[in-house]
Amino acid sequence: MDLLWQTAVNATYAASYMALIAVGLVMIFGVMGVINFAHGELYMVGAYCVVFLYAQETFPFLLAVAAGLVFVGFVGIVMERTMFRPLRDNPLGGLIASIGFLLILQTLAVFGFGRRMGHVPPSTQGKIEIFGAILTYQRLFVIVAAILLLAALWAFLKRSKFGRALRACAQDAEAASLQGISMNQTARVAMFIGAGLAGVAGALTAPLVSPTPYIGHSIIVTAFIIIIVGGVGSLEGAVIAAVLYAFVHTFVTTFFDGVIANIVGLALMLAVLIVRPTGLFGARERA
Amino acid sequence: MQAAGTGGLVRRTAWRLRLVFLFAMLAALPYLLSYSQQEIAVLLVINVLLVCSYRLLTLTGEWSLGHVVIMGVGAYASALLAKQFGVPVPLSMLLGGCMAAATAALLSFPLFRMKGFYFLIGSFAAGEIIRLIWKRFTDPFGGPKGLKRIDPFPDIEASFLSVDFYEPVNYYFLALAVVSVSLFVLYRIERSRIGLTFHAIHWQDRLAESVGVDTFRYRTLAFVIASFFAGIAGGLYAHYVGAVNPTRFSVDQMVYVLVWAIVGGTATFHGPILGVVVLTVINEIVLRALGLDTARPLIYGAILILSVLYLPNGLESLGPRLQARWRRWRGGPAAAGREPA
Amino acid sequence: MNVPGERPILEARGLTRRFGGLVAVNNFSFSVHEDAIHGLIGPNGAGKTTTFNVISGFYAPTAGRVLFRGLDISGRKTSALAAMGLVRTFQGSTLFQEFSVLDNVRVGRHLGARAGFLSRLIGTDRISEREADAKARETLAFFGLEELAGEPVSNLPHGHQRMLGMAVALAAEPKVLLLDEPFTGMNPEETRRMMALVRRIRDRGVTIMLVEHDMQAVMNLCDIITVMNFGALLVEGAPEAVRNDPAVIEAYLGSTDGAGHAS
Repeated sequence: MDLLWQTAVNATYAASYMALIAVGLVMIFGVMGVINFAHGELYMVGAYCVVFLYAQETFPFLLAVAAGLVFVGFVGIVMERTMFRPLRDNPLGGLIASIGFLLILQTLAVFGFGRRMGHVPPSTQGKIEIFGAILTYQRLFVIVAAILLLAALWAFLKRSKFGRALRACAQDAEAASLQGISMNQTARVAMFIGAGLAGVAGALTAPLVSPTPYIGHSIIVTAFIIIIVGGVGSLEGAVIAAVLYAFVHTFVTTFFDGVIANIVGLALMLAVLIVRPTGLFGARERA
Repeated sequence: MQAAGTGGLVRRTAWRLRLVFLFAMLAALPYLLSYSQQEIAVLLVINVLLVCSYRLLTLTGEWSLGHVVIMGVGAYASALLAKQFGVPVPLSMLLGGCMAAATAALLSFPLFRMKGFYFLIGSFAAGEIIRLIWKRFTDPFGGPKGLKRIDPFPDIEASFLSVDFYEPVNYYFLALAVVSVSLFVLYRIERSRIGLTFHAIHWQDRLAESVGVDTFRYRTLAFVIASFFAGIAGGLYAHYVGAVNPTRFSVDQMVYVLVWAIVGGTATFHGPILGVVVLTVINEIVLRALGLDTARPLIYGAILILSVLYLPNGLESLGPRLQARWRRWRGGPAAAGREPA
Repeated sequence: MNVPGERPILEARGLTRRFGGLVAVNNFSFSVHEDAIHGLIGPNGAGKTTTFNVISGFYAPTAGRVLFRGLDISGRKTSALAAMGLVRTFQGSTLFQEFSVLDNVRVGRHLGARAGFLSRLIGTDRISEREADAKARETLAFFGLEELAGEPVSNLPHGHQRMLGMAVALAAEPKVLLLDEPFTGMNPEETRRMMALVRRIRDRGVTIMLVEHDMQAVMNLCDIITVMNFGALLVEGAPEAVRNDPAVIEAYLGSTDGAGHAS
């Protein structure tokens, strides 16, 4: 019983950072129609921001996390300007270019930090007990930060003029531009937020995962599973699917093993693709 | 309009001469290379088959991310057949190709319910599942370490002829022969009505379907043929290197296949071959000479982005484009309106 | 002028198709007789296109059946229908734009040019391919396009592309040809020529069913006209009868008045 409850708490932590990553990926897809294969590497860059600023240069952890968000957000803007904008009519080209970008980010990380795992000391000590399950402050911090960030994003998208523009572009780019919404401007903001969310997820979890330049691979696999299950293009679906996947994955890992958990996750995604290619919570298919 | 008679004969003879010349060059090549370069040449020949088989699949308009895993299916199957059941290696390679084709036939039922992105991601997921199965099940797949000491290709020990396939030169000729035959088959398929139908499905699948083309069957056919030859490439690889493991067939390797195909250009048969040869030469000779080994993925990534942005039809389009520019530059009135073929 | 045969070659019985909560086609029945030119018309959003897509196998019907020569074909794949002799065309210039004119029609010969995989590989399919090429050129000649066989499709003017679309379908040797808006976007001269072509195709023994907006063309061409409204049958009859039917006039007037909520 204790193990079940502890696993549920662990799954909640996993769900929180997975949701950040998946929501970012969906956001980019929604506005630009491109599957960003380099999303896992954006997470990795966020993690190395913390390795560099916090672990090596001893800046405060929070500052390093914020820097991770902003820096990776700007990397996203660079991607939008140099690749996705010229390839707007060519979604497959955008995807393939993002694979090229992934290789560049990976190699730069190897140059900067070497191939070995970066070590990040914990930013806080201590833990709390919730009905017998242990949750370290470090993990609790990730959960809280993820909830705050997603809530802020939700409010931003619902309330602000920009949020409406984003949603308009995601629904119908042509109609949006007729209404005087600048596609370029909107894409830039979407890319900043989408990439920034991946970056901040990497930054927040850096003390917990020991980043390597190749960590992006497992991250992008996870993110794909979540956005397919959640329905590509649905932000709410991505959050729900992240929770669902995190629980399935964590439980299977605990009670069987990690590889089986990965196989189960991929099989889940394949099953969703077969039965309902638009995802469990998705609306319509993009042309 | 070209007169079919003498013009056709002249062109065909010229074409044959060029082919003879090409084979003479390929036969002389290993003797101009160092031992380690010969080893690279063997892998290059195998990769040519890999990327050409990949292109056949893309003719129907679908891009898979599982092709390298399918190659791995051929490699694992051939290695296991030889190791565990003592199947003679040439036969095991053929069976490895069949195994890869059968895997593709099976996968086509879920995968061809999808198109475009969904197919891409679906093929990725299917490939990862296969790879994780190799990783998880030590018996018989050897787990993360994979299979080692795979039986080599049997030596030829006749009284007048003795060929040791441990020598890269000899294996190079073996691979060259197998790959040449395979490429010929792939070429014939593309030039036949089957190839026309593949193209038709790519450009207008609903129109093709309306005149009786069973698009699902033809997509599956393309997938199965492509996978068979990927499996053959895998067999050639396994019995040359002598070891396979799940990492060798990961998505990173798939990225290289994509790069070769896209940088070379998938519109023509020779485009991907051009891509894999040029990039391998840059990679192995130029980068190695400059001592930029660790920068290799970065340079590949940059080349990939630049070619998607500025050379969307690949290297193979460069020749006609330069020719057209040259003609325009000379400014002959006859050349003005002519488009490159 | 040909008299349509008595036997229905294509029938719909109680055809219904829903999309979520929307009922696009509702308990709709009709029958097309052999050698007829049968028009299907109706105001915007009446369910013509959906009916067309259900008959041609693009959607399965939610309820009801489609019969072809007395055989239930509901829900069969488009390619299987083509093999039985039911072939459709598409709106506008849906063609293999990257192919030559001849290659477009050669794809249309898909069903006629059978050969095994191995014979394709070693080239013994040459006999059947030569036959297919001859047939393709013959089809092009029927449309007066034989001179353009080697041209890339993208070089063809719009009117020629529309004819080519029909040539691709005709190359599949249909018993019933379903034409999707064959006159839309054509000038009167092109329409007149296309109408003559449709008649000549019928004279070759091909039954024609067409969906069209151009009332004038439909009235002049068709032997019998089925009018749909709100997904169901409104009126069916000879052109003169349909033209003067108050229900039809009202349906069309109603749709122009209420164009805002038509779809």
